[in-house]
Amino acid sequence: MPVTEKKPGVEPVHEGRALMGFRVDWRSIALGLLVIGLAYQVIIPFLMIIWTSLKTTRPGESDFLTLSITFANYTRAFGSSGFWSTSWNTLSFATCSTLVAFLVGAFIAWVVERTDTPLARLIGMILVGRIIIPGVLITISWILIASPNIGILNQFLNQTFGVRNFFNIYSFWGMVWVQAIEMVPLTYLLLSASFKAMDPRLEEASTMTGAGNWRTLRRISLPLILPAALAALMLLFVTAIETFEVPLLMGGRAGVRVFSTEIFFNTSRTPVDWGLSSTYSVAMLALCVALLFVYFRLVRHSERYRTVTGKDFRPRRIELGRWRYLTCTLALLIVFLITLVPLLMMIYASLLPFYQAPSRVAFESMSLANYTSLLSASSTITPMINSTIIGVFTATLVVLVVSLIAYFVHKTEIPGRKLLDYLGFAPIAIPSVILGATFLWFYLLTPVPIIGTLTIISLAYLTKYLPFALRFVSNSMMQIHPELDEAAQVAGVPWWRNFFMVTLPLLKPGLLAAWFWVMVHAYRELTVALMLARSQNRTAAVLILDFWEQGSFLKLSAFGVLMFALIIVLVSISHWISRRCGIQEQY
Amino acid sequence: MITFRNLKSMALLFAVILCASLLSLQPSRAQDLSAVEKIYADLAKLPQDERMKRIEEGARREGKFTLAHTLRGDLGNGHIDLFRKRYPFLKVEATSDIGSQDAAERLYAEETSGRHLTDVIGISVADGVEILRKNYVARYPTPAAAKINANLRKANDPDGRWLLFFWSEHAMSYNSNMVPADKAPKDWFDLCNPFFKGNVSFDPAEVRFITGIYNIMGEEKAIKWFECIGANNPIIQRGHTQRIELMLAGDHMVQGDNYLYHGLSMKRKNPSAPYAIVLDTPIIAGMGASFVNRNAPNPHAAALWMEWSVTDESQSYLSAQLRGPVTLPHPYLPDTVKLVENIDPPKEVADRLMAAWMKLVEKKR
Repeated sequence: MPVTEKKPGVEPVHEGRALMGFRVDWRSIALGLLVIGLAYQVIIPFLMIIWTSLKTTRPGESDFLTLSITFANYTRAFGSSGFWSTSWNTLSFATCSTLVAFLVGAFIAWVVERTDTPLARLIGMILVGRIIIPGVLITISWILIASPNIGILNQFLNQTFGVRNFFNIYSFWGMVWVQAIEMVPLTYLLLSASFKAMDPRLEEASTMTGAGNWRTLRRISLPLILPAALAALMLLFVTAIETFEVPLLMGGRAGVRVFSTEIFFNTSRTPVDWGLSSTYSVAMLALCVALLFVYFRLVRHSERYRTVTGKDFRPRRIELGRWRYLTCTLALLIVFLITLVPLLMMIYASLLPFYQAPSRVAFESMSLANYTSLLSASSTITPMINSTIIGVFTATLVVLVVSLIAYFVHKTEIPGRKLLDYLGFAPIAIPSVILGATFLWFYLLTPVPIIGTLTIISLAYLTKYLPFALRFVSNSMMQIHPELDEAAQVAGVPWWRNFFMVTLPLLKPGLLAAWFWVMVHAYRELTVALMLARSQNRTAAVLILDFWEQGSFLKLSAFGVLMFALIIVLVSISHWISRRCGIQEQY
Repeated sequence: MITFRNLKSMALLFAVILCASLLSLQPSRAQDLSAVEKIYADLAKLPQDERMKRIEEGARREGKFTLAHTLRGDLGNGHIDLFRKRYPFLKVEATSDIGSQDAAERLYAEETSGRHLTDVIGISVADGVEILRKNYVARYPTPAAAKINANLRKANDPDGRWLLFFWSEHAMSYNSNMVPADKAPKDWFDLCNPFFKGNVSFDPAEVRFITGIYNIMGEEKAIKWFECIGANNPIIQRGHTQRIELMLAGDHMVQGDNYLYHGLSMKRKNPSAPYAIVLDTPIIAGMGASFVNRNAPNPHAAALWMEWSVTDESQSYLSAQLRGPVTLPHPYLPDTVKLVENIDPPKEVADRLMAAWMKLVEKKR
């Protein structure tokens, strides 16, 4: 197969194979299918959102599809002082949560992947386990831990030291704390994948020239993970803007109103104000596009971040000496606060007949009644099975799609390839409630019979989780040197074989992190599932909402504990399968 | 060889084609004459026994029934299970996870797009505004409406567009360990007492509660009430049941607005729960009803549900679950309590009330 002369990092042009008289270029076919898929999954929702923002009539009204548009929604949104105060709140909340989450997550990732801190693997596992617990449970747990009058911490301080209401979770910083710890695992997963793929020779060269550990960290290690760090910051920021549970449960009392709650309240009224909600979504989209533009500018020299080459290596672990006990203690304290404290609260509440502060009476009243009630109800099992199917299927599909996107964006010179990255990332701007409504309306209007099936939920999740998975995989893709691809091409390996046998295995850290992230979030996602749920396709998250709306926090806690156990099993199985299939740890 | 040299052009072309396709989509128009309503009109002419026989035979032929039931969780599931047991020949596909507004919105979306997927929705009457306006609801005349208690009958639609089957109350309640008997609120304006400063909770901007206060007091007095409530530093927190749980745990003293049944249900499980309700002042009654889809795919099964929903079996279940039945005495509210039905005010009044609440209570401009 002829291979033309090419620039480094650029795919050679293949002539393709002849098939029935036509040349078939598998790479072009893959690209074509990818473009069509992205257009279907991303452009359609965005067109509907933008269109709805330019109409004051709702979907379904007779003049909704006419060409008369109006900017009245924009005037209403941007013309009210409430919008600007909400914007300020949103940006402040998002910025502070992002910074806290990033610093904590980066510290843990560095400790676990790049130092000789004892118990590093355990720390990483406990932190990642935190993702499994639904956000609404974490928020309620922290309300019970740190609310002014009944919070366990405040009660302890009051009884022990006579200090009243020292902690107030219903405050701006209380919201920042809960949101930040919700996002720490995302930072950890993004950065740890990059840390794992770092070739130590650059750092060794630095230390050999006399630079100490700290200087090497600042001048070599940190710049090398710049794409991952920027991706993390971007994702964290947009996640904090879009987040729902913390502002909904705590924001009212804290006096902090943000975009996501405005959209929620606008879509909770009768009649639903789709126009205004869509307008807020467009504002969020503009922000996300701007962020992505900045991100691309900052990482435009992606060749500088390539650390995975044809030579084998093991990541270098920095020897901290006595400091490793301090890092161990700090990291354990952090993961204890982030994961174990709410988990313990959940376990405690799940064993109670009704909520009460810890006491001898409370412990004596504990039983497994909530678990028995859950497991004996047929209405519990089917949603959990549905969620498992949706989670595994969606995660696998998302990972495949983003692998292709990342490949074409970072490993080819196709004109306009950046558009793929924008398309893959843009859905992060769509609030879940709008995404769910968009999919519902679209599939009601089109003759595709997937209403009420698991497929419609999976397709909505594919759109929703593309941005996150894409950043995981893009960071890893950027680190792969093109010499590996070139070696395969010189050997005459077809493109598709090169992609599956060479590229994908090298992406393992990013792929696994992305798969895990998407699977867990698809399992616990609430809003989209609720909007698309019917009797046949109820998911575990819909059960969570049921319990919450009924005030069954105790049963909800029991369900959360069961979910935690189940997902731990699923993740263990996936790790076992990946090892059996030969996706071994290369280093 | 086919290659895609310019992704931007491809994407643009695709987007244009897609837009054109979407613009060419027209939702199907509602039929002028509903076949479902014709069936019900014919059934209405029959004697009751013959009528029920025809309904049941028709339901057997149809074999299935799709319902969006907004009584949630165990309450809704238990209610539907009773219906299933009563009519085992029907395959019942029921959703009981979505709110009243969402169920109405879903029927609206389905019918607008010409997809007739749902037979009946059970929602708050106040949330049926849009589907009534679009004439998506069938008229279902039934003698069963006569079973409804006299004090609630006027809330039932005389044209049969909905049939009441439960009602809920919005009222005040408090933590009796934190509020001494002599300070207990007896009137809505008692919540303005400085004793309750920072200790009265509401859900954020709940339309039904705000219009309910309007129905009790009128617009002018309602806005004065908003003002004094706002001056008393209210707690604004989402989640009716969550607020009750927090109140009973000692977080704050008073529920300025909530459903009473949940607290009473908790007290039933735990008799020492310090839950007390206020019955001295008018309370807001929100009516729950079944609406039949004008294009219901299974009209006889829908009729079977409508008839069953007001039977003693259905109503006794709801009463046992501490929800307000419409044909039986209320399980805990005495006959002397003054109920004020929650009727939607004119739109401009509702908008003024909402704006006043946001400005005065939630302190938002």
